[in-house]
Amino acid sequence: MPLGSVVFAFIAGGLIVAATGGNPFSAYAGLICGGFGIGCTQGENPALQISNTIVFLTPLITTGVAVALPFRAGLFNIGAEGQLLAGSIACTAIGIKFSTLPTPILLPMVLVGGMVAGALWAGVAGVLKATVGAHEVVTTIMMNYVAQWLLRYLIIGGPLQLAAGTSKSLPIGPGARLATLLPADNSLIVFDLPASVYRVHTGLFIAIVAAAVFAFLLWRTTLGYEIRAVGQSQRAARYAGVSVRRTIIVTMLIAGAFSGLAGAVQIAGVDHNLTDKYFSDTTGFDAIAVALLGLGSAVGIVLASLLFGALHAGGSVMQSDAGISSNLVLVLQALILFSIAANFLGAIRQLIPGLRRPPSAPRPETPSAALMTEAAAAAPDVTPPK
Amino acid sequence: MTAVSDILHLLVTANLWQATLAAAVLLLLPALGGVISERSGVVNIAMEGMMLTGAFFGVVTDLAWHNPWLATGVAIIAGGIMAGVHAVVSIRFRADQIVSGIAINIFAAGITVFLVNRIYGIQDIGHATQNELLPNFNVPGLDQLPFLGQVLFQQNVVVYAALILLVGVHIVLFRTRLGLRIRAVGEHPQAADSAGINVYLIRYGAVVTSGLLSGLAGAFLAIGVSNTFVPNMTDGRGYIALAAMIFGKWTPFGAFIACLIFGLGEAIYANNSIIHASPYLLSMLPYILTLVVLAGLVGRSSPPAADGIPYVPGSE
Amino acid sequence: MRMGQTRLRLFGLVAVALMLAAACGGSSPSTPTKTYKIGLVTDIGGLNDKSFNHLAYVGLQKAITDFKVQGVVKESKTGDDYVPNLTNFASTNYDLVIGVGFLMQEAVGTVSGQFPNVHFAIIDGAGTDAKGNDLKHANVESLYFREQDAGAMVGIISGMLEKQGKLKNNKGVISAVGGVSIPPVNHYIAGYKWAATMEDPGIKVLVGYSNDFTDPAKCKAIAVGQINGGSDVVFQVAGGCGLGALQAAGQAGVKSIGVDADQKDADPSVIASALKKVDVATYTAIKDVVNGHFPGGALTFDIQNGGAGYAVDNFSLPADIQAEVTKVQGEIAAGTLTPPADIPA
Repeated sequence: MPLGSVVFAFIAGGLIVAATGGNPFSAYAGLICGGFGIGCTQGENPALQISNTIVFLTPLITTGVAVALPFRAGLFNIGAEGQLLAGSIACTAIGIKFSTLPTPILLPMVLVGGMVAGALWAGVAGVLKATVGAHEVVTTIMMNYVAQWLLRYLIIGGPLQLAAGTSKSLPIGPGARLATLLPADNSLIVFDLPASVYRVHTGLFIAIVAAAVFAFLLWRTTLGYEIRAVGQSQRAARYAGVSVRRTIIVTMLIAGAFSGLAGAVQIAGVDHNLTDKYFSDTTGFDAIAVALLGLGSAVGIVLASLLFGALHAGGSVMQSDAGISSNLVLVLQALILFSIAANFLGAIRQLIPGLRRPPSAPRPETPSAALMTEAAAAAPDVTPPK
Repeated sequence: MTAVSDILHLLVTANLWQATLAAAVLLLLPALGGVISERSGVVNIAMEGMMLTGAFFGVVTDLAWHNPWLATGVAIIAGGIMAGVHAVVSIRFRADQIVSGIAINIFAAGITVFLVNRIYGIQDIGHATQNELLPNFNVPGLDQLPFLGQVLFQQNVVVYAALILLVGVHIVLFRTRLGLRIRAVGEHPQAADSAGINVYLIRYGAVVTSGLLSGLAGAFLAIGVSNTFVPNMTDGRGYIALAAMIFGKWTPFGAFIACLIFGLGEAIYANNSIIHASPYLLSMLPYILTLVVLAGLVGRSSPPAADGIPYVPGSE
Repeated sequence: MRMGQTRLRLFGLVAVALMLAAACGGSSPSTPTKTYKIGLVTDIGGLNDKSFNHLAYVGLQKAITDFKVQGVVKESKTGDDYVPNLTNFASTNYDLVIGVGFLMQEAVGTVSGQFPNVHFAIIDGAGTDAKGNDLKHANVESLYFREQDAGAMVGIISGMLEKQGKLKNNKGVISAVGGVSIPPVNHYIAGYKWAATMEDPGIKVLVGYSNDFTDPAKCKAIAVGQINGGSDVVFQVAGGCGLGALQAAGQAGVKSIGVDADQKDADPSVIASALKKVDVATYTAIKDVVNGHFPGGALTFDIQNGGAGYAVDNFSLPADIQAEVTKVQGEIAAGTLTPPADIPA
């Protein structure tokens, strides 16, 4: 079904390209070359393209998990972006402040610091939801903006600014950095290019571990059971002795920690300092699509991250090879979201007589829709404290 | 100390309040749309995308036909079409309304720039001339009133329209049968259905109306306040409008007061280069205020009971 | 030592500016058999930014008509795209990769170190390390602009108009709306204020920042505030946001000044534009590669070499003002007058 949604989005996107006078086939050829290094016509280096895709997909996995976990509890975390920024801010601040410490001490410090900051950021939404029933969608949107402006303040005129007139921070200490898989060496030639162009870093493994932790937590622990119980029905969960309030707060804290980790890894593994490029970061929003497309499972999230990472990397090759604005990628992402959310394919199948399901079969619902419905229906149960 | 007195001095100038009202209206229109949509039970976080789409098609039309009224009509319809997509997806397909809203916003951001590229190449999209813009209008007589004349009666036509719409939406929602039906559908669709109200029709109407209003806001932004399209020119206003709607507890006048507060903040900042606080910290304020309101520190704010829940006939 | 090198480059630039003019009508200036591949990477503003990304593209287009070059563009959607976009060009045997905007400094610094055989150019910056130090890679041309020169030209016009009392408010006030308080913006405002004060020592120059480059409504609100405060000329230094400031001036019946490109079409109130000829700079870098003479290092574009300047729009400059502008322009070009880079108190 998710695969069908992707196909649907690409067909619709192709029609948009064709309708505006472009060639959808060359556009998609560019995307595939840019994303996977396959079928390149302009001499692009396949290893480099794949490396770029991996760099893009790494934070998507961790933030995808940060959206998917609350989904299971019936919570919609739109705040992964703000939590990611909080994590990257904390990582940078610690990495600068203690820049002389050695890796075994400093690296865990910056990563844990990022997780704590992300957890706090999401925790605000969790606490407000659990205590006064404030809708987490709204609170996390607000927290996203607060993080955005805080970041601007910190690196433009604030305490983290490198120097007057700049919009960046100092780099973090060498001990706070994650190693790249290949040495960052300009003279070592790997696959015809200097080794330093391949920016894949050990954060990839952290992301995969995060996905595994997510799966383990959800399916093999008591907390995971409680999260799923709350997501299915708050009322039933309460009868089963689960503290709904506590579960909501803990879920958001963990989700925030995942996002914060993604932000910290991005600083420690790729950028090494906070810069104005974080003003335009969209990882936490792409993560929503990743979590939905991955159907909330760890493997699904990794695969969906691969697709979105490839789309991101492919956009620029599509533009240079096919002359199609890389903004088409945004359109495709939106179409994928629509298609998953609305389950167009299910509806189309219903229209075709041969494929119609027996009338008694319940209408298939997307996981999020079902969860959201439950969550919203159960919301009045969260009573404010006396 | 001088900074404080400067601000106090500023607060008694008509210029400041004139600017406040204009800034507030840019937020009010999408906020009213949000109120209507959510009162009917459909969550709408897509005002940003609808507004941006309206702004884009408004400018394209205005540049092609040199008629701001036609352009505004097109902008309103464009916003309405985006809202129609949201409505079909969330009502007919019972999709997650938040996912659909996010998709609309991403789609609008992508498709507008994509189309700018396809239609205009890298050429400048162009600028509407003064008489191709939505005009300012001074209400004869009243505009000469001291203070109030400038604040209330020397504004863009859209400002007057928005204030009329504000009163209109309030009256419709709380003083008419239609409003009663909209609220019933948002609070308890099953009961409304049993009472013979067409839940789907009401919700379609409400969501599309939110798009029409957001489209008008887009037109005001692009060919009233400004005279061209700049990618992402809505700059998060749809989200601030969402905040204003919650701040105002899902009522038109409550939302209006919130818009005025946010607009005042913008106007004070714009009119004063003396404030020494970081502009970035000041920019956080609307969001933090909204969180404070949500936290119940300023009284409780809760959405309509069936907000966000797709209606399935016969279910409970 | 570097000074001398820069000085030397300036002579070359004058020649380039002349060639730019000559190339319009003439035949192709050189006949290389090789087709040079030029890659242009925009910053997140994109090609339709009505500002330097757009101008860089204009310069590239001009080079395509004049030389045997093939030009390809990659727009950056987010800051994460800078390094991959630059690397993509560099790794596919492009002869010159141009990064537009100071946001890309670190990315250009990194990638130019990886591809020493590829030429790079960057608008408004250098290839730097994470601390902002110029790495001075030999394969990078840093294209800087003396925005204060351009700002000074429009400052003379504004200051004199205000002093002569022919404008609407006539309270001895003019103003500038900046996007963000960063060097390229402040250079313009510095030159503007310096020159206006030189013409009219009693003049008051209001300066406001919108902290935004894309939302015209924000800049309009600031401009309206300044006009209410008596401003007769509004100088916008805020890209797409600043278009709102020009419009505010038009609606209030005062004058305005455009920035970067000639913005005479943006609003009838625009009497002049301060020009930063990113197109000339881009063209120069391409030409250096095509001619096989790519010295690298910092190139500064200013009034002397035609890389910064002004245009008079929708307005006929009175003879006395024109005379003064021409005089000051000569003095700045000759080095006897130097507009400051920092906004004077």
